[in-house]
Amino acid sequence: MAVRVLLPGLLATQAGGRNSIDVDAASVGEALRALPISDLLFDEAGELRGLVNVYVDRQDMSTRNGLETPLSGGEEIQIVAAIAGGRVS
Amino acid sequence: MAPMILAGTRKGLFLLPGDDDRRTWTVEEPTLEGWEVFHAVQDPRDGSLYAAANNFVYGATVQRSTDNGKTWTRSEGLGLPEDGELKLEKTWHVEPGRDSEPGRVWLGAAPGVLFRSDDSGESWELVEGVLNHPTRERWNAGAGGMCTHSIQLDPADANRMYIGISAAGVFRSEDGGETWTPANKGTAADFYPDDPFPEVGQCVHKLLLHPGKDGRLWQQNHCGVYRTDDRGENWERLEDNGLPSAFGFPLALHHRKPDTAYVIPEDKVKSPEVGGGDRVTTDGRLRVYRTDDGGKSWDVASNGLPERAWVEVLREGMSSDQRNPAGIYFGTKSGSVFVSPSEGDEWTEAARHLPAILSVEVGEWQ
Repeated sequence: MAVRVLLPGLLATQAGGRNSIDVDAASVGEALRALPISDLLFDEAGELRGLVNVYVDRQDMSTRNGLETPLSGGEEIQIVAAIAGGRVS
Repeated sequence: MAPMILAGTRKGLFLLPGDDDRRTWTVEEPTLEGWEVFHAVQDPRDGSLYAAANNFVYGATVQRSTDNGKTWTRSEGLGLPEDGELKLEKTWHVEPGRDSEPGRVWLGAAPGVLFRSDDSGESWELVEGVLNHPTRERWNAGAGGMCTHSIQLDPADANRMYIGISAAGVFRSEDGGETWTPANKGTAADFYPDDPFPEVGQCVHKLLLHPGKDGRLWQQNHCGVYRTDDRGENWERLEDNGLPSAFGFPLALHHRKPDTAYVIPEDKVKSPEVGGGDRVTTDGRLRVYRTDDGGKSWDVASNGLPERAWVEVLREGMSSDQRNPAGIYFGTKSGSVFVSPSEGDEWTEAARHLPAILSVEVGEWQ
């Protein structure tokens, strides 16, 4: 099922300047892992990085079934970095 | 070829081409925007650039550019074993390999790990001898994490190299990185009052090898400035001879003069006090201290630097070039780059108002 994944600025740059990528996937996790920048979304253990939020048709995937959320085709998946401004490291 | 400063910052990498006199510098538009560039270096073998780049959302990686920063390629598959307890936290330092090792690059990272690439950073192999070092349980993370920040290749022996990890100490390998021996004898860990001279656990802040004198290395440590002349078997503490403080982060060496070194002290702690209180230039004075006699004495070499300045210079924030006379460079967390084209005799401000500077290296403008 073809879905569209929207990439924020840094990820778009890392994807060669593309701010959206169409992929065939049956679940949100499958769609994210199909991206050429998937290593920036998942750590080495395959876990989604803690500050990466994902919305499916503007609905937080964590309110559905997370990465297992099924896709039927035509959905728009949006990746949003968690709001974490002002941190002093 | 014109000189070029690589200033890694919290907000990307800035390249500063300069004139041959190293007195006039231009700030190019930033590259690697969105990345915290903990360290960036030019590979002298082919002119390519490497950057240890981190993003607090998207993790740690290495970027490589073969067109002087116009475009970058990200290393993929960089990480620790899936079944382990540790995860890659930050990339800290990229060290190009020897001329005789085309494609080899070393990467230091947190938590206290080392990677080797033999294909110019396209893929990385974890160095198991560091990850599984038998003393690891006695290592601790410093304020910046448990970072492998110093990687030094011995030009006298293709199998010998050194790493510095905070706070684990200095380690030496005699077999190309397979196995590692602690090399901390004589370096203090005053923050362990029950064992101030442990085998490991020292908080080395920066480690540099002098390529012109076999066996000589210098280190700025949390607890002092040190020099060894026997490959780290024994270290001599040096800061009681003119330095106002034992504490500091950066260190630079003179490429032709093995007895010359540069430090920028912070705090005003002297042994056996434990440094690291306010972490700002000692007495609010931005002063570079230089020794020309192997650390027997230190003198202020700060002509042209602002007299009153409360600044921080981080562990990767100081460097030197290979020219004659030698150029010395450093960058501050408040965004200034200072250059001495005269071995520390005089300084000029090459740039100001950059983002917080995390690293300074020198290369050639391509």
